[in-house]
Amino acid sequence: MGTVENQIFSSYERNPDLYDEIYKKHGEIKKVYKKLFELYGEHSIEDYVNLNTKAKSSFFNQGITFQVYGKKETQEKIFPFDLFPRIIAPDEWEVIEKGAIQRSKALNLFLWDIYHDKNIIKDGIVPLDLIISSDNYLDQMVGFDPPGGIYNHISGTDIIKHNDGKYYVLEDNIRCPSGVSYVISNRTALKRALFGVFNHYQTYSVTNYAENLLDILETTKPKGIDIPITVVLTPGMYNSAFYEHSYLAKTMGVELVEGRDLVVENDFVYMKTIKGLIKVDIIYRRVDDAFLDPLEFNPDSALGVPGLFAAYIKGNVTLANAPGTGVADDKAVYTYMPQIIKYYLDEEPILNNVHTYHCSRPDELKYVLEHINELVIKPVDEAGGYGISIGNRLTSEEIEIVKKQVSESPRKYVAQPIMSLSVHPTYIEESQSFEQRHVDLRTFTILGQNKDFVLKGGLTRVALKKGNLIVNSSQGGGSKDTWVLKN
Amino acid sequence: MFLEYTIVYKAENNYANWVKNAHWQFLIIPEQNETQKFISTDFKNSLNTKIEYSINGYGFKTIRLHPKIEFKQISFEASFRLIKKDVNPFDFNLDNHTENHYKKLIELEFQIEFERFLKKSNYTNLSDSQKRLFIFDKSLSIFDNLQNLNQWTFNYLFFNAEATDVNTKLSEIIAMQKGVCQDFTHLFCALARQNGIPSRYVSGYLHQGNGFFGDSQMHAWAEAYIPEIGWIGFDPTNNILVNSNHIKVSHGKDYSDCAPLKGILNTLGANKTKHSVQVLRQQQQ
Repeated sequence: MGTVENQIFSSYERNPDLYDEIYKKHGEIKKVYKKLFELYGEHSIEDYVNLNTKAKSSFFNQGITFQVYGKKETQEKIFPFDLFPRIIAPDEWEVIEKGAIQRSKALNLFLWDIYHDKNIIKDGIVPLDLIISSDNYLDQMVGFDPPGGIYNHISGTDIIKHNDGKYYVLEDNIRCPSGVSYVISNRTALKRALFGVFNHYQTYSVTNYAENLLDILETTKPKGIDIPITVVLTPGMYNSAFYEHSYLAKTMGVELVEGRDLVVENDFVYMKTIKGLIKVDIIYRRVDDAFLDPLEFNPDSALGVPGLFAAYIKGNVTLANAPGTGVADDKAVYTYMPQIIKYYLDEEPILNNVHTYHCSRPDELKYVLEHINELVIKPVDEAGGYGISIGNRLTSEEIEIVKKQVSESPRKYVAQPIMSLSVHPTYIEESQSFEQRHVDLRTFTILGQNKDFVLKGGLTRVALKKGNLIVNSSQGGGSKDTWVLKN
Repeated sequence: MFLEYTIVYKAENNYANWVKNAHWQFLIIPEQNETQKFISTDFKNSLNTKIEYSINGYGFKTIRLHPKIEFKQISFEASFRLIKKDVNPFDFNLDNHTENHYKKLIELEFQIEFERFLKKSNYTNLSDSQKRLFIFDKSLSIFDNLQNLNQWTFNYLFFNAEATDVNTKLSEIIAMQKGVCQDFTHLFCALARQNGIPSRYVSGYLHQGNGFFGDSQMHAWAEAYIPEIGWIGFDPTNNILVNSNHIKVSHGKDYSDCAPLKGILNTLGANKTKHSVQVLRQQQQ
């Protein structure tokens, strides 16, 4: 790099088999990262260590923490964050944004259809069993029209870049996707630490999320309401995403409530205040379906509001996302996304789906059995990563066992090519240097009546363990500020 | 011909400790349908708490109450007066379209329309061997098969109020061969569904004969859907078809959709609950 002695990248090891977000194949820095690389190159590793420590304590002092469930000594942890941002060029972002909106709209139409006429099933595109056997399919929602016709107000789409340089969707999260508050705190932290670098880039703001969320939620207000009152319903301070719930309520300028703060009278929902009861019209709920109303769902739920579901079914309150939305947030439904988009929108999918082989189809089963070492084999009915076999990590005996299982009950399995997530230089505290780490991107899409919004940024999650592909914060993942550049 | 009924539902709860924040929901109001018309409904509780009429997730009428004071004892009394049309259970065309009816059952449109009453549920789960307990004879009509299933269920289980409770699994009930009306109904529904017939759990009241007095409980029976005929009621506990002695409250996939009383309360210590139901038939009009 000419005269600049690039200390902080001097020991960066580049594995040529991985897709690096900042380097081109032959080692040249990509255009959008050039300036940033130069700017960071002016600092030594020691400067960087100091900045990183300051930024960390700022996170802790602001209370931007999360908890890991199931650990005896639960400790507030900060979400590890590093000061080297990820940059997404305008042309790439355009594809992501259009693709995310397309998927959200298609999923909304799909949900309307399966809770009404079920035409997609009648036309033989999606099997009936796939829908009705899902625990997230709510019989109570059949025939019900949610306010404004919207089910998935908020969608979190998990996207990766494969080593072919193309974006693929891994998952559509449409129950209570979380993480948006980290996007905003990452930006704030980076601005505090390295304000100067922002002068060299035209980056979209991410702080407009809350105002858009409130604005779009209000398009789905119950009928007959002029100026709706909105609240955020949280399971409480022990929930791992409590910081986010309180952040969103605060920035939307609405109340943050727990179930015990709400009461239902004559099928209307009220919040208890020191001035008496105030009627609530829209609830951005971060409580799962099963816990919403102990009189209708799980009777042991202490988080919910007795009578809330009746108020909802009578059309007196909006719940976002709508109950029962989770049926479309499912591994098996995911595999039908290209067909779902085509069926409702008559469009080709903008973002790729990871190709899925259904072992129930004889020709696909043949391919799977012959190529197990290149595939991930997943049972269709298990969640949380159970029963997954990754072909290239199996011994030849294990391959034979998997082959036997799959051929015995082919309906139970699907297979996908092994995806390789792109890598990004990431500051690693232990080695005090930059190393390649796998990253993904969670985008946030808000859908309303004739209005939608995609947050220009999103949460880049980083797998901090070397070679690890799992980016979840509960698994020791970190995050990066994500810049979407203006044209 | 019409019959007039008065139904009195009573419940009493006693708690060892003070109860602070309680919610109750009753699913006990008779349904308004073509055979049942209301005259009056009345609901009292010992705390004089304001009651609310609402609906459950499937649109059936509920009564809810939420006392704002602490208590150790609360009792409820509901009374309904209604007119019931005299029902002839055989009032449908029993023509022999048997083959067409069976064909209908396997059509996708039919399976989509009735999916809720065809799929298994928590209370109607059968093991693989239990699925073969009753297999339809396709040479007979669906109605005849259901009549046989009604009788088979009646003979298979022995009525015993102590053997089971709401948590007993169907597979255990089948093994014990003992149960109450809920268990008879779940077994009937499970086996009808296994044979491709949509069937639903019905909760309601049974008039146990003119002039019959005394305490009893709410009753349960089943409704099965026969193509081109409609929903037909079967009472496997009594091996009869549903008639003018059955007063329907609600239906669902199983007991969990129809529980007559749901209470949400935080209290430690023992509690005692008593329920009683009286069904009285007035002179015919």
